[in-house]
Amino acid sequence: MTLDAMLAESRERLASRAIAEGVARVAVDVMDSPLGPLWLALGPRGVLAIHYGASGYEGDLRRIVARYGPGVLRAPKRLDEVKRELDEYFAGKRTRFELSVDLSALTPFQRRILAATKRVPFGTVRSYREIATRAGMPTASRATGNALGANPIPIVVPCHRIVGSDGSLHGYAGGLDRKRWLLRLEGIPG
Amino acid sequence: MRTFDDLLAAHGREIFAYALRLTGDRDDADDLFQETFLAAFRAFGSVRDDNLRAWLYRIATNKATDARRRQARRVRLDDLELVAPDRDGVTTADIAAAIRALPPHERAAFVLRRVQDLSYSEVAEALSCSEDAARKRVSEATKKVKEALA
Repeated sequence: MTLDAMLAESRERLASRAIAEGVARVAVDVMDSPLGPLWLALGPRGVLAIHYGASGYEGDLRRIVARYGPGVLRAPKRLDEVKRELDEYFAGKRTRFELSVDLSALTPFQRRILAATKRVPFGTVRSYREIATRAGMPTASRATGNALGANPIPIVVPCHRIVGSDGSLHGYAGGLDRKRWLLRLEGIPG
Repeated sequence: MRTFDDLLAAHGREIFAYALRLTGDRDDADDLFQETFLAAFRAFGSVRDDNLRAWLYRIATNKATDARRRQARRVRLDDLELVAPDRDGVTTADIAAAIRALPPHERAAFVLRRVQDLSYSEVAEALSCSEDAARKRVSEATKKVKEALA
């Protein structure tokens, strides 16, 4: 067994122990997906971030450290459940996530918009205005778009299901190709 | 150094290698590695970035001194891919047995200087002793290792 293989095992045990003992609070890892690598973060209250790409997650990390402190550790096994649900969704075997999401580091407005977005069912779309209305702010379509653009937990909080009133895709933080792919997966032609 | 993961990425590998060399045993090294970093995580906010390395070695050394229990399953050090280059023409595989035969305070000083490549001031800081004492320990240990290999 090589030093690096032993180290990997020890790091996994260390991370599990540190999180179990409350010394560390957030587990992170990277998983492969049909949309490329996803950087995942799981805190004590649920999923904190799903970031497209294995790098460039500094903004998410800053927000997480500000909320939960520096106790962030790579802990692949702690994220098994998150990966399993995402894998099932990508394979077309899951239409609803059971995972808890932690939006506590966001502003009250963002939380309301994302909570309304999370309730949009698989295979359906809503307009920005509908989401703003459901969040109790019918005139805040533009601010709704901004809040969705900054959604830290895409896919599980399905901001890809929010489109323009005319059916156009508008934007997506992960890129329009990914938005189109996700909608097609859910049976909605892009 | 913003997160625990940054600390592990920067120093986890060398501290794990140090733990293996100090204990010569994988399970003991695993324990030592975990105890060292759990202690480091608990003190994370109160440590300055400029001496993290020596600080980690000091924790590891103290933890190793505290817990001198041995386990049956030994790691063959010559199987390992080593972090530090061979020093003074002595291969790490050759010196593994000689290192284990050293008294604990000399073993730590020798490994920190000759294998982990810390400066004498870092060795002194890691072992909470003067630089002169660190030099003396390394010198004494080196003499013994050379005699053992002669």
